[in-house]
Amino acid sequence: MWTFIIRRLLQSAIVIIGVTLITFTALQMSGDPTYLYVSERATDEEIQRTREALGFDKPLPEQYLTFLGNLAQGDFGNSLSYKRPALDAVLEALPATLELTLFAMFLAIVVAIPLGVVASLNRGSAVDGSIMTVGMLGQSIPSFWLGIMMIMFFGLQMRILPISGHVPFIMPLLSGDWAQAFRNLPQALYYLIMPGFAVAFYSISRNARLVRSSMLEVLGQDFVRTARAKGISERAVVIRHALRNAWLPVVTMIGLEFGFLIGGVVVVEMVFSWPGIGRLVFNAINQRDIPVVQAAVVILALVFIALNLIVDLVYAKIDPRVKL
Amino acid sequence: MTTMRSMLMAGTVALVAPLAPAYAAPPDDTLVVGISADATTFDPAVISSRDNSNIAKHIFGTLYEIDPDGNIVPQMAESYTEAEDGLSYTYKLQPGLTCEDGEALTAEDVAYSFNRAGDPANAFTGNTPGFVYSSIGFNGAEAVSDLEVKINLTKKNPVSFGLIAEVFVHCKDSYEAMSLEDASSKPVASGSYRLASWDRGSQVVLEKLKDPGTFQNIIWRIIPEASTRSAELIAGNVDVITNVAPDQIDAVNASGTAEVKAVQGTRRIYVGFNQKDSFANGSPGGEAVQKTDVRVALQYAVDVEAICSQLLNFECTRATGLVNPPNANPNLEPYAYDPDKAEELLDAAGYPRGEDGTRFEITFQAPRGRYLNDANVALAIGQYLDDIGVKTNVELMEWASVYVPLISKHDVGPLFLLGSGGGTWSALYDMADLSTVDAGTNYTEWKNPDWFSGWEEIAAAKTPEEQRVVIDRMLEVFYNDPPWLMLYFQPDFYGVSKRVSFEPRRDEKVYLFDAALAE
Repeated sequence: MWTFIIRRLLQSAIVIIGVTLITFTALQMSGDPTYLYVSERATDEEIQRTREALGFDKPLPEQYLTFLGNLAQGDFGNSLSYKRPALDAVLEALPATLELTLFAMFLAIVVAIPLGVVASLNRGSAVDGSIMTVGMLGQSIPSFWLGIMMIMFFGLQMRILPISGHVPFIMPLLSGDWAQAFRNLPQALYYLIMPGFAVAFYSISRNARLVRSSMLEVLGQDFVRTARAKGISERAVVIRHALRNAWLPVVTMIGLEFGFLIGGVVVVEMVFSWPGIGRLVFNAINQRDIPVVQAAVVILALVFIALNLIVDLVYAKIDPRVKL
Repeated sequence: MTTMRSMLMAGTVALVAPLAPAYAAPPDDTLVVGISADATTFDPAVISSRDNSNIAKHIFGTLYEIDPDGNIVPQMAESYTEAEDGLSYTYKLQPGLTCEDGEALTAEDVAYSFNRAGDPANAFTGNTPGFVYSSIGFNGAEAVSDLEVKINLTKKNPVSFGLIAEVFVHCKDSYEAMSLEDASSKPVASGSYRLASWDRGSQVVLEKLKDPGTFQNIIWRIIPEASTRSAELIAGNVDVITNVAPDQIDAVNASGTAEVKAVQGTRRIYVGFNQKDSFANGSPGGEAVQKTDVRVALQYAVDVEAICSQLLNFECTRATGLVNPPNANPNLEPYAYDPDKAEELLDAAGYPRGEDGTRFEITFQAPRGRYLNDANVALAIGQYLDDIGVKTNVELMEWASVYVPLISKHDVGPLFLLGSGGGTWSALYDMADLSTVDAGTNYTEWKNPDWFSGWEEIAAAKTPEEQRVVIDRMLEVFYNDPPWLMLYFQPDFYGVSKRVSFEPRRDEKVYLFDAALAE
């Protein structure tokens, strides 16, 4: 297992370099960023001075190598708009995004699995049809539109959920203030409901369909028939035998889920005024704040890699046939 | 199993019980404002954006300030004198000023505030060192006595006094002892409010220290999405929001809980006629707009009032020039929408319609997403010009990385859409865009000698009345030989809850000292 982990970590380093190269190139291709940091009234001399001060006058390979060298020391440079270390800005926003993403993942699992199981057990019925229709909608509706509709209905009309905002849970937890974290927890969950669901709706739909098809496949297999023939209760057949085997493709999907959900949070964080990385990156891209974009992409890539590693380890644990 | 269910129920109740207060309206001593962007710093020398500056103005005082009517009125200072040569201003401070930590604020503190912002060692890039100081030629500040501070300048500039009113003042001892990082996040207030907390990306909470100021607390909530801001306002969770999207005005007004207050802002939106040589010789359209007659003719082709009402949801009055009312030349009437007259003038200027109905073809470049509904405004103008036989190719561009470099090099056009920030406090401030032929902001490279010679007369004028005569004459020159196709002053939309009374200003400054609970 340790060989596997070390190999994966080495692969991760290559992935990170690739990620930085792609983002760096993409950001540079969209024009000279100097103009973002001078006023519309700036003279040519001021523009040139700023370009030199920010290092944008140097050849691109040199700029990239400088960046990589600093990156190795954990230095992403100063945010050009916040005037402080870009990494600090990203790490400050990371807990809010993790709260949202983890909550969305939680929904994508605990809502999707029962729905998929119920649909598979009622194949062809109205229940199955309804669940699959909702699943189809979930995969068709853009998350930002769903977010706005939820704000209109639950926030404005029914007034049962907060329209926007955020109550921190992970941040006080990380800073050691556990009492504050748990005091915040009810409100944190309350504020998470709408954005969490808006982010998770697509995944819930996809996972429910996945569980349904996976369950249908397993339910038709010999060992399930044998279990039933032995007189085991249907509940035990479904949960202990069928679902346990149908679970594997879902676990694989969960590993990829994080990256997908992160993509979704960018827009949802804007709609719900969620102070996370998605919103930070959105603003940073608009302002061409390259250090912040780079830091955010690298940090998210690291989190994604770490989660996938964990999923691989869990996969090996729940399926003894898999050898690491 | 029953135990498990009971535990789950108890857990659910425990989670849900504290939720009820989440929907309470703000308390009576608290004003909540929804803005689109967070502050990036509270270091007074680094602040550069309007949202940031609006919050900071509640924390820091200034020597003078500009009131909603454009008058420059005393704040921390009680009077000033200008040196005869115009190269220094001496301010007399009000006695008894203090900072948040109790330190007395004297002339020495004011001089320190000014000098700190201009200190090259700090390499600050905010509005004060970046714009104000370069405009006024800041040359150091010194305390003359405990209550008198002298600001030295390298050049005489008639708008210096107004620009100095933008510089935030703070105490010396606290800032001398502070790191730059602390200065950016832990300001020591010299104004009415102190920073109580700053939850980055979420909210900034200010707490009142002294008058002026009606509310004990002001909470600035960061709500980037316009529709979410409107929803929060309608729900009664915020009292004031900025930048209401035009398509949400009706929904807010119909809510019964809030209304939209529209003001004609100070940003001048215009179409520039680029007269740079490369355009003059580059295309038939570029050549045509070199002629005054053609530029005047095109003024009549565009129905500006219709653009305002249809695309901006605002009834505007067309601009007569580059100066904001009430400082514009009162004798000038806005050009009327008269396409027949436009066609007559173009015929007379030597540009009759060809066989295909086209007089000449021209490129019209415009940013997308920079100004209110800018892309649609540009497309509408293109259509108006098409209607009089000027075949207009509208090119919409990304602002930051494409449009700004073109503007900076005066390479945009030959027609281009632009908005330029202005003010209510001085005609000269607005006119400074065209301070010299080679000014960076003379984007059209207009060269009318009657205009540019006017600046010397303004400098030589001995009284404001004499100055005003010259200003009006220059504005007439601008009107009759227009380098711009004059459009409108961009409206600003504020949503205001019926819980409070708040009157927005024209100059994008959101100052909440006089806001109060509605009667």
